[in-house]
Amino acid sequence: MKKLLFTLLLAALFLAGCDRQERAGLVFSVGGAPAELAAWQDLVDEFRQVSGIEVELLRQPAETGQQRQGLILALKAELPTPDVFLMDVGWIGLFAASGWLEPLGDFDRSPFFEEVVERVDVHEGELIALPVYMDGGLLYYRRDLLALAGRDAPPETWKELLEDAVSLLPAMRAENPNFYGFVWQGAQYEGLITSFLEFAGSEGGFVLRDGRILLDVPANRAALRLMRDLIRNRVSPPSVYTEMREEEVRLFFQRGDALFARNWPYAWRLHQQPDSPIARRIGIAAPPGPTAEERVSTLGGWHIGVSRFSQRKEEAMEFVRFVTSREAQRRMVLALGWNPGRRDLYDDPRVLEEMPNLAELKEVFEKARARPAIPYYPQVSEIAQRHLNAALAGRVTPEMALQQAEEEIAALMARYGM
Amino acid sequence: MSEERVQRILLYCGVTGAVLFCLAPFGYMVLTGLSLRPDFLRPEIPLTLTALNFGTVLTDPSLHFLAYLRNSLVVSAVSATVAVLVASLAAYALTRLEAPGKLLILFFILGVSLFPQVSLVSWLYKFMATLGWINTLQALVLPYVAWTLPLAVWILYSYFTQIPRDLDRAALVDGCTRLQVLFRVVLPVAAPGVFSTFLLAFIFAFNEFLFALMLTADYTARTVPVGIALFEGRHGELPWGEIMAAATVATLPVVLLTLVYQRRIVQGLTRGAVKG
Amino acid sequence: MSTESNNSAADRLPPRERREALAFLLPVALFLGGLVLVPVLGTLLDSLHRDVTFLPRSFIGLENYRALSADPAFWASVRFTLVFVLVSVPLQVVLGLLIALVLNEGFAGRALLRACVLIPWAVPAAVSGRVFELIYNYSYGAANWLIQLVHPGAGPVNWLGTELGALAAVVVADTYKTTPFAALLLLAGLSAIPEDLYGQARIDRATFLQRFFRITLPLLKPVLVVTLIFRTIDALRVFDVIFVLTGGGPGGATSALSIYGFRYYAAGDFGYASAVSVILFFISLTLVVGYASLGGFGREAR
Repeated sequence: MKKLLFTLLLAALFLAGCDRQERAGLVFSVGGAPAELAAWQDLVDEFRQVSGIEVELLRQPAETGQQRQGLILALKAELPTPDVFLMDVGWIGLFAASGWLEPLGDFDRSPFFEEVVERVDVHEGELIALPVYMDGGLLYYRRDLLALAGRDAPPETWKELLEDAVSLLPAMRAENPNFYGFVWQGAQYEGLITSFLEFAGSEGGFVLRDGRILLDVPANRAALRLMRDLIRNRVSPPSVYTEMREEEVRLFFQRGDALFARNWPYAWRLHQQPDSPIARRIGIAAPPGPTAEERVSTLGGWHIGVSRFSQRKEEAMEFVRFVTSREAQRRMVLALGWNPGRRDLYDDPRVLEEMPNLAELKEVFEKARARPAIPYYPQVSEIAQRHLNAALAGRVTPEMALQQAEEEIAALMARYGM
Repeated sequence: MSEERVQRILLYCGVTGAVLFCLAPFGYMVLTGLSLRPDFLRPEIPLTLTALNFGTVLTDPSLHFLAYLRNSLVVSAVSATVAVLVASLAAYALTRLEAPGKLLILFFILGVSLFPQVSLVSWLYKFMATLGWINTLQALVLPYVAWTLPLAVWILYSYFTQIPRDLDRAALVDGCTRLQVLFRVVLPVAAPGVFSTFLLAFIFAFNEFLFALMLTADYTARTVPVGIALFEGRHGELPWGEIMAAATVATLPVVLLTLVYQRRIVQGLTRGAVKG
Repeated sequence: MSTESNNSAADRLPPRERREALAFLLPVALFLGGLVLVPVLGTLLDSLHRDVTFLPRSFIGLENYRALSADPAFWASVRFTLVFVLVSVPLQVVLGLLIALVLNEGFAGRALLRACVLIPWAVPAAVSGRVFELIYNYSYGAANWLIQLVHPGAGPVNWLGTELGALAAVVVADTYKTTPFAALLLLAGLSAIPEDLYGQARIDRATFLQRFFRITLPLLKPVLVVTLIFRTIDALRVFDVIFVLTGGGPGGATSALSIYGFRYYAAGDFGYASAVSVILFFISLTLVVGYASLGGFGREAR
């Protein structure tokens, strides 16, 4: 009996002891994009020195879908933490419409990319988020190999990309049987949508017309056919549609196993590390398009927002101000090779010295294409991912895939009364 | 005679096959954890052994791996203990007190294990959110207890029926209360069964995934299976070496438990399931 | 199960004891009622609502079910789930039976084998799922290494790339994890068969197969049905292995019902996800009732 009581007591103690530990300060949730965490830690340390406010970094999985799910759980439960978090541009609409974001109040929006802020960060007239860094899809290419083929400029259309790859592949494969022409994000996840939008160009993508989202349009059909054929003709490896997410693409390209890769700007620094076999042999460019005029880069990037359920909103606002300040942004740019959310850094001499390609990127971002800012975008994306991936796997024809996705999205919108 | 021989050969082939199938993935996991590069199976890449991955997993605070492991151990131990206690009360009532509708209750308890986890998870989430318990260990302990109770009740029920009732009658005559009889007489006699039940409940809780995925948000309560499923390397890359090192360490407790107590586990499993 | 005392005992039970019995059963009732039954009923209720994070909650009757019935992705999930059960459960039970038969023989190293078989069962499915993910890796996984070892020159296989391949991959990973459980249940059934039955058969010079089909199998039937029920329930709600291994891909080809429902929970659509869960539950119930009547249960096995 005593033993039992003892056990019970122990159990009770355990439970009491595990009760929510009071966090010492702000809790800031960030995704695990490469090398990000150490730089954030430095920034947070500096913030503590400046303001006296402690910030705990809460590390999240890098994959956007999993990160979103974790935040949705915390916010739907109205947990007081995390107080501040980074959001993928794709889910700000959902978070805002669910009433989870605290309005940021008066902020000078002029130093930021105003079109992006207007489109993504404003909900019912209130500013609810700010860009911390910008992303746009880029084409990475092997300068050394293209030169070998007598090409001095990267391809501007998908057709040119294909020609370059086809002309180089036989020679490369003779040396390295694992060599491929082009690797890109094709697994069934959000990244597939971002590469699809670039394949489709400015005439395709999610076409909004008469309150419907159209997918089965000529540009999309051509794009999906091209994507499937790249895999079918072994210009892209078959693992594109099963394994390829950002990091798998980066590792594949970094091993020296591909001529072209589609990735976000973060990969640049990592590719250029001294121990990387492709260091100093690569270049970046805006992604090709169906024609040179139809080229688009998918707008990505992470925006910072404050939870409506935070109990430290004042401190959280101060942190937001700090993170989006010119100084802090410059530090992050220099430390990580990021593309700042502030437009005024793209002309900053010190930054340009470190990152000469930033001027070019500014143009890419200004023209970058946003995904629809609708609250049910995650569901729309899930549907599109599933059907696009099925077409890549050869389970259905591209036409069927687009048609079915379009119908399912229409049914979804009808269900939500949209 | 020849049939005997064929049988022997078949037997040993089967045994070797089974052992290989069970252990090979395990060996691959350990080896990848110890290898400098995860692609060591490619012919051009040499296998270099290193303790680096294990070191990183065990010491890097930003990976929170030890926190996951601690959460898993605490949650499993507490929920297994509570499950055994609650189940032994029920099993005692069902074997000794001739509770009305005994069979119905037993089958009802078993029927509960029919429900798919995914049909419970949203309301568990709502409960825990109302209590402010999302992302705490108790948010996992409570459902785990409920989840392992059916099995625990059935195993203990079958053990308790085998204990002669004269034993507890004698204790009752001596003036013990029912509760005292249960804890002083029945449980000690059924100790092996109680232990088996505890082990099984522990392993079930240790392995659970969906509840842990939905009810925890970060390392303060996240358990090993979820931690490993969502594992990210220190620099965000896909760190197969570290994942496999973490997997090796994570499975160590349950593997040791099963190896040391395999007889108990087998007994428990077979009782609970087959006596139905 | 032995009902070792006469049933009239309950009637003779003094009221105090009756109260005591209820008190002893109370904790179980609280746990199962509060944490299983209420959530299940709640889910049933939710499934009749539009319950999305960004819209006001409203009662919509069977609208979610109607939408589900028109959703091809839902039907694909139902189909996959049933195929998965039909392929994996028989495979696991047959393999489990083989292992049980072997374990039931007296031979050196029996304890070792039993221990080895237990390991995959004890390891979390999420963990073994990740190991299989690496095994199936296109560029450097063990499966392609093995293929090239056996058949040099064969190109690497994209294991998770086709519907069939992904199904097979998931089935193998799930079988790895769950066969031991089936084996142990069956082993218990085997060891309960009296040895002298076999002795008599040996005298009659029955072959091994004859003994198996005439003695072992009929006597094992109740346990076999129990094993089938357990495995079927478990296979119907398969989640961890698929979540880790394929995430439901390629193109939704391995999106089991649990995964399909979970995706909607994770996106914040609780009503629709609840409807999926309710349907999954009714599928389980139907199959189990079917098995139980097949196995002649209800007339108190053994």
